[in-house]
Amino acid sequence: MAEHEQGSPEPASSTATALEPRWHVVVLNDPVNLMSYVVLVFKKVLGFAEAQARRHMLEVHEQGRSVVWSGTRERAEHYAFALQQWHLTVILESDEAR
Amino acid sequence: MKRVEIRLSLEAVTPLLAVMREAAASLSDGLAAANTLGDIEPDLRETWLDELLESQNDAIAVLLGLFDDEFEESGVIGFDAGNAEPVLRASAALRLRLRERFLTALSEEVLESGDLEVDSLEEPARRAFMCYLFLATLQELIIQHLDASILEG
Repeated sequence: MAEHEQGSPEPASSTATALEPRWHVVVLNDPVNLMSYVVLVFKKVLGFAEAQARRHMLEVHEQGRSVVWSGTRERAEHYAFALQQWHLTVILESDEAR
Repeated sequence: MKRVEIRLSLEAVTPLLAVMREAAASLSDGLAAANTLGDIEPDLRETWLDELLESQNDAIAVLLGLFDDEFEESGVIGFDAGNAEPVLRASAALRLRLRERFLTALSEEVLESGDLEVDSLEEPARRAFMCYLFLATLQELIIQHLDASILEG
């Protein structure tokens, strides 16, 4: 499953970051939102290129879910909130819970 | 600034406005999409939900504002970089609510394709489904014509 990686952690927080679990922003399928709408949201919120956005949209559509971002909890919550503002169904998962 | 104007049939759209307004009213104190972030800290969760609700209802107000007195005279609504994003989001919210309240009997395949003989539905599902399709059409028009404006905004 392809995931969009955020940039490397800043040096000052690298130790703490290494000890913290990675959080995953997972978008779940819904039968209501248009495919073109989901692609636009991924481009707008996550900065995906068209092909990457379409790949994740199709993954959501065909497999029911797609991990669209992974990293620190704070950033994961930021992206989850932004995606929820567009009325996508989003969950957060951590490595610990997997 | 790029602007898209659409002339709508007042006869066709006016009956749908009541459906839209009713769905909008039902969202005044609740979110359209299921909130599944159960493990967020309680303090953050409350703020999170309040801000989502405010954002949702601000967007819905923009959508409903398109259908004002001027629209009732001319049948014209307009989209530009200033309202495209909230209208898109509000349309998604109302479609989710319409599905939840009136269209649960329809299969996911029908909801995704819109391929259904509308007259086969009883009221209020028939009018809700027409509104559901109308809002999807607005979304498609905005995405088709104002995609770049939204991404740059």
